Amino acid sequence: MYQVEASKALLKPKLWARRSARLNVPRNVVMLGMVSMLTDVSSEMVATILPLYLVFSLGASPLALGAIDGTYRGAAALVQVASGFAADRWRKPKEVAGAGYGISAVGKVALVAAGNTIGGIGAIVAFDRIGKGIRTAPRDALISLSSSKAGLATAFGVHRAMDSAGAMLGPLIAFGILLAAPARFDAVFVVSTLFAILGVAVLILTVQGKPKRAPREGNAPSLRAAAGLVKDRRFALLLVAATVLSLTSVSDAMLYVGLQRKIDFAPAVFPLLYVITAVAFMGLAIPVGQLADRVGRVPVLLAGYALLFIVYGALLMSSLGYGLLVLCLLGLGGYFAATEGVLAAIAGALLPEDLQASGLGMLTTVVSIGNLLSSLVFGALWLELGLRNAVLVFGAGLALAIVAAVPLLLRSQRAPVHG
Amino acid sequence: MGSRNGKILVALAVLCVLGAGAYIAYAALGPSETITDARPEAKAVLSDSNVMVRAVDPEDPRLNGRVYVVHDGHVERHSGGQLACERVYFAAGRGICMGVAESGVDYVATIFDAKMHPVHTIRLSGFPSRARVSTDGRYGAMTVFVTGDSYLGTSAAFSTRTYIVDMATGEPLDQLERFHVSKDGKPFDAPDFNFWGVTFAKDSNRFYATLGTGDHHYLVEGSVRDRSMRVLRDGVECPSLSPDGTRIAFKSRIGEQTRWRLRVLSLATLQDHGLAEKRSIDDQVEWLDDENLVYSDGQNVYAVPANGGGEPQQILKNATSPVSLHVR
Repeated sequence: MYQVEASKALLKPKLWARRSARLNVPRNVVMLGMVSMLTDVSSEMVATILPLYLVFSLGASPLALGAIDGTYRGAAALVQVASGFAADRWRKPKEVAGAGYGISAVGKVALVAAGNTIGGIGAIVAFDRIGKGIRTAPRDALISLSSSKAGLATAFGVHRAMDSAGAMLGPLIAFGILLAAPARFDAVFVVSTLFAILGVAVLILTVQGKPKRAPREGNAPSLRAAAGLVKDRRFALLLVAATVLSLTSVSDAMLYVGLQRKIDFAPAVFPLLYVITAVAFMGLAIPVGQLADRVGRVPVLLAGYALLFIVYGALLMSSLGYGLLVLCLLGLGGYFAATEGVLAAIAGALLPEDLQASGLGMLTTVVSIGNLLSSLVFGALWLELGLRNAVLVFGAGLALAIVAAVPLLLRSQRAPVHG
Repeated sequence: MGSRNGKILVALAVLCVLGAGAYIAYAALGPSETITDARPEAKAVLSDSNVMVRAVDPEDPRLNGRVYVVHDGHVERHSGGQLACERVYFAAGRGICMGVAESGVDYVATIFDAKMHPVHTIRLSGFPSRARVSTDGRYGAMTVFVTGDSYLGTSAAFSTRTYIVDMATGEPLDQLERFHVSKDGKPFDAPDFNFWGVTFAKDSNRFYATLGTGDHHYLVEGSVRDRSMRVLRDGVECPSLSPDGTRIAFKSRIGEQTRWRLRVLSLATLQDHGLAEKRSIDDQVEWLDDENLVYSDGQNVYAVPANGGGEPQQILKNATSPVSLHVR
């Protein structure tokens, strides 16, 4: 197994190297985490300042951006399934993921060169979304194929922690640049481009395209084989469990709106809600992943949803102090840490090696469509019955979903009858 | 990894860091580009009226933002270099200028006095949209756009927040999102509630605003004292109450998402009529007096009769955010 010490050149802090060695995380996973971190820094730098840029350099309304962004979000979800299959079919997860990262990087270069029209910026935002859709499934497949089955949740935890670190660093770097050079958006675009290029370079130069669990022999899987995954009993059980759970999980954006009604008025607090949750997610992703590998992924996943259930409870209180609010947000971060990567780890462990990307793509798509639907239904219930009743309905639904998921998930973990 | 690849990567990383550092240094040491130097041009003389506007440049948005008072066709600069605004409003000796902080990375509202000197600053949580001050200068109302954070890959839908501020102290008092709303006598609430475009009545307690939820844009009537609002009717955005308090000028969505027509409704009947302006206008209209409206198309300021007759007349070139100073 590749150890992280092999890449001392990149990971200067010794502490991190030692920690990772103890974690026994494959070097490939750390490198993929690095790629995601650099790419997220690049994307979030631009996303943060785009509204400002639209107005100050183009004199446009930030409304224009809202419309642009919504349009391509749906497209990216569908690309995910296709790119997952393509990665399996061609046996080239690294190359397909690389195309996704590359498309986003090209978008950044285009921003520097031609980011002075609304249409141009719209195209670049679309590029970024599509690039993200393309790279997600093959990248997760690479993480899975690089790890031993026993260490999958830890591996995904390391990747998610690095990924969210990038999402937090991006805005800070962008603001830092604008503080040093007011209104020089071009400097932000140039630095963002350099981060994107570096991300692609780390992928090309350090990530193994054929990691140890990668299939080496036999025929490339057909579309039929990929579609047949839903008939694979264990994976089908997992898909059903994930669908049921995601249909009763309200998106964090919706929860923030609810929580905001329960706290004292302070205009500066709202943006902090995201930050606290993100920090908690980042900090908990690795330890929770290790825990999942040690005590079992299914219990940890279910405990994550139980945390969400408790956060629902907070929405039933008439008002929340700041202490309880912070606890809620930490709980929400814990929920993400216990579900995001752990679910991928469960899937990675039971999917056949030659259909990892297809299966992971399907799972992510099912979960994101489930979350979207649940947020729509929750919003409609809130309107018709009020927040309290909507929470009661979803609380009951989530409790039932957790109970229903227990046998589904446990049965999905049993060794297959054949093969 | 071959150590060759490692070396290439380290070299590339060093190059990137050096390149980024050099570019930032070049940008930081270069001439500052935060200049606001546009000046409006009077195209028609409106007798007996003073209008405050925000200047825009047709070519370079970086020059936007200075505040001018136009007095009988004479453009008088008032704000010096101190205020650079995206939106401005003024009444009873107190004004709001919503703009960008000096750092260039944060949004702030500056409350200024009759001499246009800054008195208070309030940090805003999003991009400036609408501003109003009650006739007696007691309350201010500010709407900002908040774009969802994309942390964790989830993104809150595009939304607005509207703050009520105490103009004397510069303290935010509350947020319309926290007010109690009723519709047809029953409590009304949904997660996608957004409020924008406040207009105050003469007593400064009562106000009107837009409540957006789903595909609806409700006109609401509210009370600052009671922290409550009730829905009056649908299809009204950015209301603006006439000085005599009987009518509301507003923008009405047509077909596509971001096209509007200006209309005027009578509060007694809740019936409305169109205006001579036939272009799509995205603005919170201002009443010049009880018979005439002023508004901007984002580039110039126009006046049009409120009764639906006449023709739109361009009164100022290169200006937005008109405030009538006469009727106040």
